[in-house]
Amino acid sequence: MNPRPWWRRAGHAGLLLVATVYCVFPIYFMFVQSLKTAQEDVFGNPFIVTNPTLENFEELFERKGQPRNFVGRALRRDYPFFVWLENTIVIFGGSVAITLAAGVAAAYALGRLQPPGFRWWRRAIFATYVVPHTILFVPLYQVIIRLGLDDNPVVLLLVYPTMALPFCVWILSAYFQNLPREIEESALVEGASRAAAFYRIVLPMSRPVLIAAGIFALGTIASDFMIASVFLLSEHNQTIPAGLATMEVALDELLAVAGINLMAIPVVLLCAVFARGYVRGLTAAMIEGA
Amino acid sequence: MATAYLLLAPATVLLLGMLAYPLGWEVWISFTDFSPLNDHGPRFVGLENYRHLLADAEFWRAVVVTVGFAAATTLAKLALGVAFALLLARPFRGRTLVFLAIFLPWAYPASVSVIGWYWTLSPPIPTAYSPFMGTLKYTVDGALGGGAWAFLSVTLFNIWRGSSFIGVFLLAGINAVPPELFECALLESRSAWRRFWLVTVPLLRPFLALAVFLSLTTAFADLANVWLLTAGRVVFPVVGTQAYWLAIKGGQFGPASALSLMLVPSLLAVLALLFRAFDPPAEARA
Repeated sequence: MNPRPWWRRAGHAGLLLVATVYCVFPIYFMFVQSLKTAQEDVFGNPFIVTNPTLENFEELFERKGQPRNFVGRALRRDYPFFVWLENTIVIFGGSVAITLAAGVAAAYALGRLQPPGFRWWRRAIFATYVVPHTILFVPLYQVIIRLGLDDNPVVLLLVYPTMALPFCVWILSAYFQNLPREIEESALVEGASRAAAFYRIVLPMSRPVLIAAGIFALGTIASDFMIASVFLLSEHNQTIPAGLATMEVALDELLAVAGINLMAIPVVLLCAVFARGYVRGLTAAMIEGA
Repeated sequence: MATAYLLLAPATVLLLGMLAYPLGWEVWISFTDFSPLNDHGPRFVGLENYRHLLADAEFWRAVVVTVGFAAATTLAKLALGVAFALLLARPFRGRTLVFLAIFLPWAYPASVSVIGWYWTLSPPIPTAYSPFMGTLKYTVDGALGGGAWAFLSVTLFNIWRGSSFIGVFLLAGINAVPPELFECALLESRSAWRRFWLVTVPLLRPFLALAVFLSLTTAFADLANVWLLTAGRVVFPVVGTQAYWLAIKGGQFGPASALSLMLVPSLLAVLALLFRAFDPPAEARA
């Protein structure tokens, strides 16, 4: 192909710049605010930080255990941020693991073993996305009380997978279905059991799709705010999103912004590390146009 | 086959336990006058709740807002997503960086970014940017009615995050298409616009359909998040929040259940249509 004229290349570069700024600016803005002192937050330039400080992040952890003191006439709370962080890590990690385990099992059954009506089964699983969530938690609460899990973070380990499972089952089963049968059959002929063939051959091959499913699950789970704040009532059971929402924004704005960043940065880094695998996995799952 | 059912069990049990019973309860309650304010238990009233809703002007207003919100955000997300995917389709220097930038809004957890976004656009206390944001808020609210700015800001947030997901998803779709097909298209037509509609869109059809569906079903999560966060101060009613209001504030679980189920048939119809694009019957596929 002949080289493209300069104005087309400039146009392309310009569009790339616009897209990048559009995507990154809000995140940059939130990050900058978290590095500010209270003084700069009020009087400084909103777009930059001149005296970056980590004191907001430190205060988030250190305020724990301090006696409550008064600022003006309002009560200043302390936040069990460390507990929230622990809960968040356990719940997010656990939910992603459960989603992947249940998803791979179901997807292998649907894509590979293909019981009668598997297409409809798969469609039914995917169709659960149409269930409206807004007042569903009223009957869901009945289920949870029946299970004795009231105000217990374990609830989220049961609810979160249901938000990510349909899509994960979809892409995983599409991938398993398109995988040539010979791959497994040669191992079966050699005398390996079906489980061994799956574990030793199919699973390692599916790495990109597993990454795609895992990242999708993490992104979906990390975006929930409603379920966490409805079901986790006591302070020491909450995850970071639920906890942050209980903060007094008017008093602790900088602390809250620091909390937002502290939660987001690890998730973003994890996603960034696996970003390429995520795209590759989605491609691999859909390559047959399904 | 026993193995197949055994392997399907965990996912099915999770989905059934967390969705089927609650959904069944909601359907049943939507035919009753159940309310914690009544002395008696749920009493069957037939289609009464649905009939009331259909005659209610507030309900139709909520439907219009809901459908408008879903359609507008989905269109915007699709347009931006397609643009992102096409921008990234060909290799160039710095592609990885731009790709990561476009991936970021989705990777940034919405549970906290929606909080930050909302507080930034409607700052609660004096910060360096609140005067500007305050002016903007009152200008928009003044022009379009109270709460319009909050609603608009959630809409923008939803588009911002969703376009990132769809962009990356469609990029995966473009990667799945053999490059020869695009090269053939280049010989066929010199108009990029025609090539886009005649080649790119049909090839990406399954991806576009899947993206539209995910966008439609997740469009309201952000709205619900902000709505809960502000204790219901976002005034523009959508079907979901109106149902919540009726149930939690008014204790009218019957009408609320009916209300929240109203849109399910239409979503299912959309899904049935979209399945034809991304899950074609086996014969058509080969």
